Amino acid sequence: MEQSGTSTRLQAAVQDLASGVVSALRGGDHAHVVPPVGTDGEAGDLAPAAVRVLGADALLPGLLSRTPPDPAELAVFRKAFEAYPPRADAAPTVRWSHWAMARTLRRADPSSAEAPDEPDTAWLDGATWQVLTHQLAVLAPLALPGEDCAVSRLAEGRPVDVARGFVRAVRRRDWRQAAGAGRWLTLLPGVPETVGLDAGLDFVELMGGQDPLVALQVQAARRMRTGARG
Amino acid sequence: MRPDQIVTDELTGIQAADIEAALDPVEADGVYRDSRQCAGLALLSGGGKLLLSPPTPRPKKG
Repeated sequence: MEQSGTSTRLQAAVQDLASGVVSALRGGDHAHVVPPVGTDGEAGDLAPAAVRVLGADALLPGLLSRTPPDPAELAVFRKAFEAYPPRADAAPTVRWSHWAMARTLRRADPSSAEAPDEPDTAWLDGATWQVLTHQLAVLAPLALPGEDCAVSRLAEGRPVDVARGFVRAVRRRDWRQAAGAGRWLTLLPGVPETVGLDAGLDFVELMGGQDPLVALQVQAARRMRTGARG
Repeated sequence: MRPDQIVTDELTGIQAADIEAALDPVEADGVYRDSRQCAGLALLSGGGKLLLSPPTPRPKKG
């Protein structure tokens, strides 16, 4: 499907931002993952929109390493959160993404307002394992160790379905979905050993890791898996 | 829409709808390869030198 120039530019900005997050998760330079407010050029102009799309994961390196975010990054994150609230008819994933940013803001800056009430999960009631996995992969920023919400509780109740969805995504070569599902699987109890999650994540990275959005989820999964074992 | 958002949108051309579309993607089409395609790819990647399988053994005469 042909994409508009705006959509293409936004996607490129999101990919650039994701690359920075991946670098930071791999232990590289964490300075200025998010272009600070006032950055010249298109990168600066698009930064809030790109941060809104990447959502809470824009601050993931600091969240996982429990280090306070750079104030300039936090300012852009807050700007993205405030400038792009979900519209009244927004899809559940849009509302949950915004809620996840509110939760992250609160973690990063305790002086921020408390996260609003959680959106509901009614749209996932009775969802097939295929739909469930796709939606969870889109909401992968909610998959964080020690962070509870209605979506994570729902996922905890269906580990085998998510595992099936992970395998299906790999077979369909949908690397973004596979990486997001893999990240959830690192946190869920009761995942069958036969899934071979470590090897599966390696394969997803090998085949799809040139896409920063795939690499981000794989790196996040590895970091969380290492943390869970350590 | 807040005034600062209007300014941002004018600068970037990014609308809330663009962002919400990115946050609610439809599932990507699956890409499957059947065994014949895989065999073809294997031959291509091997520069035509790759022998996918040995010839079927034939019974010895006599």
